Amino acid sequence: MAARGPLPPRSRPPEAPGGHMVGGSRQPPARGERVLASAQGSLEFWRRGKPEARILITPESPLRAYVSASPPRGPPELSPQLRCEVRRSAGLESKPLKMADDLDFETGDAGASATFPMQCSALRKNGFVVLKGRPCKIVEMSTSKTGKHGHAKVHLVGIDIFTGKKYEDICPSTHNMDVPNIKRNDFQLIGIQDGYLSLLQDSGEVREDLRLPEGDLGKEIEQKYDCGEEILITVLSAMTEEAAVAIKAMAK
Amino acid sequence: MAQDSLQCLAQLASLHGPIFPDEGSQVDYLAHFIEGLLNTINGIEIEDSEAVGISSIISNLITVFPRNVLTAIPNELFSSFVNCLTHLTCSFGRSAALEEVLDKDDMVYMEAYDKLLESWLTLVQDDKHFHKGFFTQHAVQVFNSYIQCHLAAPDGTRNLTANGVASREEEEISELQEDDRDQFSDQLASVGMLGRIAAEHCIPLLTSLLEERVTRLHGQLQRHQQQLLASPGSSTIDNKMLDDLYEDIHWLILVTGYLLADDTQGETPLIPPEIMEYSIKHSSEVDINTTLQILGSPGEKASSIPGYNRTDSVIRLLSAVLRVSEVESRAIRADLTHLLSPQMGKDIVWFLKRWAKTYLLVDEKLYDQISLPFSTAFGADTEGSQWIIGYLLQKVISNLSVWSSEQDLANDTVQLLVTLVERRERANLVIQCENWWNLAKQFASRSPPLNFLSSPVQRTLMKALVLGGFAHMDTETKQQYWTEVLQPLQQRFLRVINQENFQQMCQQEEVKQEITATLEALCGIAEATQIDNVAILFNFLMDFLTNCIGLMEVYKNTPETVNLIIEVFVEVAHKQICYLGESKAMNLYEACLTLLQVYSKNNLGRQRIDVTAEEEQYQDLLLIMELLTNLLSKEFIDFSDTDEVFRGHEPGQAANRSVSAADVVLYGVNLILPLMSQDLLKFPTLCNQYYKLITFICEIFPEKIPQLPEDLFKSLMYSLELGMTSYPLTEMSSEVCQLCLEALTPLAEQCAKAQETDSPLFLATRHFLKLVFDMLVLQKHNTEMTTAAGEAFYTLVCLHQAEYSELVETLLSSQQDPVIYQRLADAFNKLTASSTPPTLDRKQKMAFLKSLEEFMANVGGLLCVK
Repeated sequence: MAARGPLPPRSRPPEAPGGHMVGGSRQPPARGERVLASAQGSLEFWRRGKPEARILITPESPLRAYVSASPPRGPPELSPQLRCEVRRSAGLESKPLKMADDLDFETGDAGASATFPMQCSALRKNGFVVLKGRPCKIVEMSTSKTGKHGHAKVHLVGIDIFTGKKYEDICPSTHNMDVPNIKRNDFQLIGIQDGYLSLLQDSGEVREDLRLPEGDLGKEIEQKYDCGEEILITVLSAMTEEAAVAIKAMAK
Repeated sequence: MAQDSLQCLAQLASLHGPIFPDEGSQVDYLAHFIEGLLNTINGIEIEDSEAVGISSIISNLITVFPRNVLTAIPNELFSSFVNCLTHLTCSFGRSAALEEVLDKDDMVYMEAYDKLLESWLTLVQDDKHFHKGFFTQHAVQVFNSYIQCHLAAPDGTRNLTANGVASREEEEISELQEDDRDQFSDQLASVGMLGRIAAEHCIPLLTSLLEERVTRLHGQLQRHQQQLLASPGSSTIDNKMLDDLYEDIHWLILVTGYLLADDTQGETPLIPPEIMEYSIKHSSEVDINTTLQILGSPGEKASSIPGYNRTDSVIRLLSAVLRVSEVESRAIRADLTHLLSPQMGKDIVWFLKRWAKTYLLVDEKLYDQISLPFSTAFGADTEGSQWIIGYLLQKVISNLSVWSSEQDLANDTVQLLVTLVERRERANLVIQCENWWNLAKQFASRSPPLNFLSSPVQRTLMKALVLGGFAHMDTETKQQYWTEVLQPLQQRFLRVINQENFQQMCQQEEVKQEITATLEALCGIAEATQIDNVAILFNFLMDFLTNCIGLMEVYKNTPETVNLIIEVFVEVAHKQICYLGESKAMNLYEACLTLLQVYSKNNLGRQRIDVTAEEEQYQDLLLIMELLTNLLSKEFIDFSDTDEVFRGHEPGQAANRSVSAADVVLYGVNLILPLMSQDLLKFPTLCNQYYKLITFICEIFPEKIPQLPEDLFKSLMYSLELGMTSYPLTEMSSEVCQLCLEALTPLAEQCAKAQETDSPLFLATRHFLKLVFDMLVLQKHNTEMTTAAGEAFYTLVCLHQAEYSELVETLLSSQQDPVIYQRLADAFNKLTASSTPPTLDRKQKMAFLKSLEEFMANVGGLLCVK
């Protein structure tokens, strides 16, 4: 049997640098004493006078990249250490990064890899895939071949599940693609402060590192919260990024 | 000739009916026509623009004139006509091939060729009026020219331009491009038929062409391998030779497939009588043992077997395809998969499936006489059939692991597997192969390479494995089989969901994959349902369905899993509900109701943002509507015999009717209606499914409609109005409009039955009367809808006679021209004359529909504002 083995992972060129960093760190409102003060903060990246990206450092994960709704062409220029982290969050490096001692602590996701490989042909529309280092939902998947007797190639169009940006890729159908591990968790909303959600976790702890989403959903959340409605927020996480993606009125 | 004159001639060629006083005059006319036609086209060079017109004339003559008229014209004239037809077919065929090379947009010769080939099919299928062999020589010519156009030089002229230059382009082919076997199915069917008539010539021709190419392909691949071994990594392989061979083999296999067997849907395909006769005729000259040897040694060159010329030609043609298959398998073993053509791989399994359906384990009862070579090689209880089944199974297993990345090929391969097990006789032999058991075990373990297959292929594979389980086995073996195939599924599933911390780990990737694989497999199991296994499969699946509802709760925030769970229910309902007796159906209704309740609890008040705000986002709605429609379909198609198939599986228990289809469906509608919006109806699939569902409900449970809560009732009525009035203004299809019209009749009848003149439904129907009236009388509408609209109209008129008179009055009074006024008034009188007073009586209704037709023809043009 001559099954073709998986091809070596394709090398991805590093993303072209985009804007430059001008923002500083800010302290999200502290609550709960377990929070390591030194591990909190956020870094904002600015471009043409607008905030473009923010990196949050939170108790749940030492470093999380959170790219705001209007995504840049490429990630902003980062310090070597941060670039390393962004590359890791993009699944470009499999080894967990050792941070400075005071940032090194256990996370909930320890040991779980951010992605797993899958033969291209086994992907499916509406499923997920990593395109250009970004977790995407597959919105289009088609095959083609060069000449009638050629081998199949898969054409993928995906939409970044966090930024909504469109990515495309074409590869032989025997190729292995990375599929992001997608998780969805529901948390009760207990507060909104300075554009950040306070969410009650199952463990009883409160996390306050998640931004209020922009757009209709964000407005809906604020409005419901202001009316005193009790709501659950579904948080989607993939490749060390997270975002609120759905709300649901809590059962009475 | 000008287009107009060609069109005129084509119409004259289809002249028939009372214009001919007797057969004699018809014969005279035809003879005169053909003579004139031949004089006109013989000896002239046909222009491109004339090809289609001329072929239409000929095709009309052959289709419209009865055979006895055709044969009554002077013999000489008739043979020149057939000669001319042969000549034109071959010449148009060559021009069509040229068009393909030049990649012309307007394929006039292809269209003309299609028409003529179709005429041949009509002509040769008649064996009453022409003596046997009458068309053989012509068939040979057309067949040869078809083959010639499809083979590469030097044997053929494929890809050669008019001045003999070869052109070859590597173009991108998208998945939307139809496979040749479908795109050219009509041509291939005609050519296959001609090949059967001239079997004496065509079968040996195909055999020698194929055998010769197999040898060349083998040699070519070997050279490539040596080249690779000598200088690994050198990528300067010229694939032109290989591609030419693949393309030749591709067409030869397609023609062979269409020649040897028919593709029937639903019925058992029979060996074509011409093929059977051909084999029987030569069976006395044939050496059976050598024939079996040719068949059983696909790895050897046919001509290397002593006495190879004294073998059955049909079996030798089959074995030529097996030789292609064997070369492919060997290349795979030699690590040359990258050089092979997936298209050829597809052709091979497509052919084998078509062949196996017809020839493998021939049922001798179906034939008057059977060829001895056939019954010896492929009959029941023969070594030959056992060998072939083993060989095909090996091919399937190899393809599934090697070609998992080629979706279409993998799909054709599992279809071959289904063919092998869907008939009990074949399945009995399949399960005796050790390979089959290995395949089952391997699939159950969800390990590579089988888990690389795409999900539709995995589902079909599961279906095949389940079908195989119903083959004849002793109890112990059967027990063991199910232990290998179905039990692991159950065990793995239960192990996962019964873990203490399942709630916490349900989002872990391995857990999600396990759940997805199980749900996919369940869909595959449901697909395997047949009347004689539904009892076992239903009980097996029911256990899962209950657990699936629990999963709905756990994965409530994971839409892709929720959708897959609903899909399992959709499949089970789709495949099984028609076989279920009362109590089993009720179990399913209950499960569906619970599913809907859980869905509703988890989704009311949920808002999600989805990066893909497209149709897919509403997949869950679509699936639920499909589920409800499937549940309702039992009212139309029901094969159940009060749990007959379940007898012996369970002590008969009196069914306490706790849940009915109506309950589930109405609950579902309560759930769906508030979620549907005008925006959502812009998605065609959602729109069609929605209207299909509400029409079904109106037809099946009209009595439940008035009981709906007020706002739901209103939105239902509004939906109907929208469906009727949007067409053709928006993208809603005429199908939707038709569905809405169909829904009105039962609603109006329901009103008539209830005799309440103030109910909301009664008032609504009055409004619909006006809508349908306007639609029929005043608007331009699709004539296809006249019947549905007419039926609805009549029922509504019965219900609201006064309002109808009023509508007519208003319309008449608005007419200023007294002539038109009178014509309209007469027409309206005539319309209702046969049904006064209108009653809901079938006879009257039919009379009304007939009058309506006349009415439309009479005054439709007067009123319809264009």
